[in-house]
Formats: sequence, C-alpha cells, structure tokens
Amino acid sequence: MHANLIGLGALILVAGLLARFGRRMGLPTVPFFMLAGILLGPSTGGPVAFEHPEDLDILALFGLVVLLFHLGLEFPVEQVLGSGKRLYIAAGAYIGINISAGLGLGFALGWGAKEAFVIAGAVGISSSAIATKLLIEMRRLANAETPVILGIIVIEDLFLALYLALLSPILSGASSAGELLLRIGISFGYLAVLFGVARWGAKWIGKVLDSREDELVAIIMIGLVVLVAGISAEIGVSDAIGALMIGLVVARTSIRERAERIAVPLRDVFAAIFFIAFGTSIDVGEIGSVAVPVLIAVGMTVVTNVTAGLITARLFGLNQRGAANVGLTVLGRGEFSLILATLAIGAGLDERVGPFIALYVLILAVLAPILAANSKYLARIIPDRLLHDRWRYVREETISTACTHLDRINITETDEDECQECVELGDTWVQLRMCLTCGQVACCDDSKNKHATAHYEDSRHPLIRSLQEGDGWQYCYDDQTLVREPAGSSRS
Amino acid sequence: MGKGVRIQELPGLGTRYDVDLHSSSGERVSIVVSRDGKRHLYVFTAVGDDPAAVLELTEEQARKVGAVLAGTFFSD
Repeated sequence: MHANLIGLGALILVAGLLARFGRRMGLPTVPFFMLAGILLGPSTGGPVAFEHPEDLDILALFGLVVLLFHLGLEFPVEQVLGSGKRLYIAAGAYIGINISAGLGLGFALGWGAKEAFVIAGAVGISSSAIATKLLIEMRRLANAETPVILGIIVIEDLFLALYLALLSPILSGASSAGELLLRIGISFGYLAVLFGVARWGAKWIGKVLDSREDELVAIIMIGLVVLVAGISAEIGVSDAIGALMIGLVVARTSIRERAERIAVPLRDVFAAIFFIAFGTSIDVGEIGSVAVPVLIAVGMTVVTNVTAGLITARLFGLNQRGAANVGLTVLGRGEFSLILATLAIGAGLDERVGPFIALYVLILAVLAPILAANSKYLARIIPDRLLHDRWRYVREETISTACTHLDRINITETDEDECQECVELGDTWVQLRMCLTCGQVACCDDSKNKHATAHYEDSRHPLIRSLQEGDGWQYCYDDQTLVREPAGSSRS
Repeated sequence: MGKGVRIQELPGLGTRYDVDLHSSSGERVSIVVSRDGKRHLYVFTAVGDDPAAVLELTEEQARKVGAVLAGTFFSD
C-alpha cells in the first residue's frame, strides 16, 4: 500500500496554519481550508502536495458525512419547535428571497438548469458556523435580534436537508419528467422514513449504540453513520442527508452528549479535509472567467440579505440596529455552499460552477465579518418607514423604536390609579405615568409635582408610559424620544 | 426562574439569562450558557448599548466564580 502521507500532512498543516492566520484577523476558517487546497492542488503553479486529488476522496467523503452528522446531532429540535410562527415566517422570507434570487441568477448565467439549482442553494443558504462565531466574537449574544438570527440559521439548516432531498434527484440525470418525479418522491419518502426513525425508533438505536466505554460508542456510532450515509447514496438520496438524518436520530438517544463529544474532533479534522479536497479540485485558471458573475452574486447576496433583515425586523418590531444586524450577520457562506459545489462536480456539471462557488465563498468570507462589524452605518440610513407598519403620532412626534433601552422594560401593566407621593402631600395631578422598569406610578410634567420625572432622576429608569386611557405611548428619558413597544421582546 | 431573571432561548447556541440587578445606576448582567458548557458573561451599564465587559468562562471557571458569588466557597 502506497499512500502520500507527506502530501496529506503538508496539506492539513498548511490549511491549519492558514486558518489560524485568518482567525487572528477575525475571518472564518472554512475558506482558508479551501484556499490551502487550491494553493497546493495540482492545477495551481508552485508546490503540489497531491498529484492525484482523488486519493483524498474517501477521507473527504468521510469528512462530509461527519460534518452533517454533527449538524443533525446538534440540531435544537425543541428550541425550533418551541419558537413562534413569526420565526418561521421570517426564516421563510429569508430563504425564499435568497433562493429565488439565486435561482434567477443561476438561470441568467445560462450554464444550465441543474447548474442553476446548485447555484441557488450555494448562494441562498448561509453558513450557520460563520454566523454563530460572528455573534460571539462581536459580543452580540445579549442583543435583542440575536435569538431571531440564530432561529433563522437553524431553520436554514433544516431547509438544507429538504433542498438536498430535492437536488440529488435533479442531479441524478433522470431521463424523463416522470422518472424525475419518482426519484424526488423516493427521496422525500426516505426522508420521511428517517424522520419516523428519529421520532419513534431513537430508543432502539440508543440501545444499539450505548456502551459504557466511549471507545465502543465511537466505533459503533461512526459505523452506523457511514452505513446509513452509504445506503442513502445508494437509494439516490444524497449521503449528506443520510448523515444529517442519522444525526437527528442519535440526538434523541440517551448517548447524545457523549456522541457530541466524540463527533466534534472527528468533524473538525475530516471536515477540514473535505474543504481542502474541494480546493484541490479548483482550477485557478478558471477563476478569472467567473469573476464577473461572482461579483454580481456577492452584490445580490448583500441586497437580498439586507432585504430579508428588514422584513425580519418589521416582523419582530426590531429597530434599525436590529434590522442591520440581522441582514449583515447571516451573510457568511461556507460549508453548505461547498457541499453543493462538490455535488455539482460529482454530477459532472458545468466546470465553472466549482470555481464560481469557491470564489464566491472566499469573497464573502472576508466581506461578511467586515460588514457585520460595521452594521451601525447601515442602521443609520434605514428609514423609519421601512420598519413600522403602524405609524402613530403623539402630538407632532412620530413614534420610533430608535430607543436603545427597550430591554429595561420589566413591567407594563398596573392597577394603581393615583400618584402615591401626591396623595401623601395632599396634592392633585393632571395625568399619570408609569415607570416601565419598576412599575411606579407618578404624576406627569403638566402636574404640579412632576413626580414621574423626579422618579427618573432618582432611579435612572429610562422608560415611562402614559396611563391615560387610549394614549398607549411610551417615552424614553435617556433618548428623549417616544417609543413603540417592541413587538419582538418575549418576556417570561 | 426567580424574579428579575428573564430566560431567552438562543436556538442552537444555548440559553440566555438576563439578570436585572435593580440597581439605581441601571447595570444589567446577561449570562449565556452555551451548549458546549461555556458561559458568556455580559455586563451592561446604563450608558450605551454595547456591553461594558464580556467574559468567556469555561465550565470550571464559571463554577469557581459562581461559588464565590454564591458564598459557598470555603478556603482551607
């Protein structure tokens, strides 16, 4: 047996070092793995680590399988099912806009219908890993829009499974429409069977996998995962979906946490090899010929994402800052786009698809963190009217959500109907205001004692609302602005 | 949860606990417990909406800090 260990080692080492260099500048890792593959691959000048990239195939395929297995394993079923209808609408809008724009672009390029479907997915489905890392690094975990962003990318992961189920039959080269429909039917039927196993059969799978020794759990689990992925590929559903679905199954067994712990290092190493292997298949000479379509695609992605961000913000009552953050955080493209590119290469589609997606992912990898970090500039130019469907006026002022203290609202209702301090003094008042942080009821500024403002000066609780029947406005002392109640805040 | 603690699920990442300190200066603390066990501790002051401090703690470190905060830490 002869294996090119020197080449493999060099590739992985260079990929790791490149990615470390990128991380120092806050860039995602996946594009750097791919870049290592491109630089050391056979089609690029300079040192070549692998003369025959196909020698990497089995390792790369294993990487793809563990990557998707881990995705399924980590999929937060309960959190997604527990989230409201609004999140599904927002995610639906996000996916709908991005996929249809991608499909439009794909057909406009004129490379073919199959190619258009691959490009639609590659351009439309964002990288959950990149978005999550960005949120942590930009210290935005406590922001109001963050649960929404995470909800959207998680639903996108699920959409990926459905998209793959649709794409594999399309790529399989059915000769007639009937055959294509049959294959799509088989694909979704198989998906339904695996959903059923996840729902009702997890207990039995758990019994098969469970062992006191981690070593045995790891081996039996990986064997099962690879087998299911292989069977899926054999049926004509992609191996990727099989791996994802078996991940969902294992996530419902008793060994979930151990499985996660075991899968993470495997995923890290072998998924990296998958991205490297994809890179080695890219011909740098081709990249020049796709530069213009890629730039158009990048521009389009920014526009569609910002649009989806505005729709989401409107749905959830987020302010400008939230809208800009939603639109620009979900911009990163990575693992899923590369999976689709690999599928395209495997199916022998137009040779430009691979370089197109490679360059697209690379550009967005650099652009996404920069844009996300500077979302405040976008926030400044979003007009109020895009975010509010209900304009309400209080005297001459419009009600806006530009206030940044909405998270200080703890209480909005009270039974109190007098200003306690005025009662004690024996005074009267004109109107009543309620502090939304501690619930204190006090008199307004037209009253003699101005207790509400006095309360703000004491406590620095920024928000009050009018208790006047039919008024329904809130005011922020800190921002000196009238505010609308945030529709997106869920308090428990 | 106790009064003044709001729980917010962060799908795929973990759970966020927003603690209202009811302090007169308006400080707030948010703690994100992520699924991998890491804790992200956010401290906000009344000024500005960017966190004044962010700490990322491992499970072990969080336990240590938590024990001291909760007054259950005894030195020997």
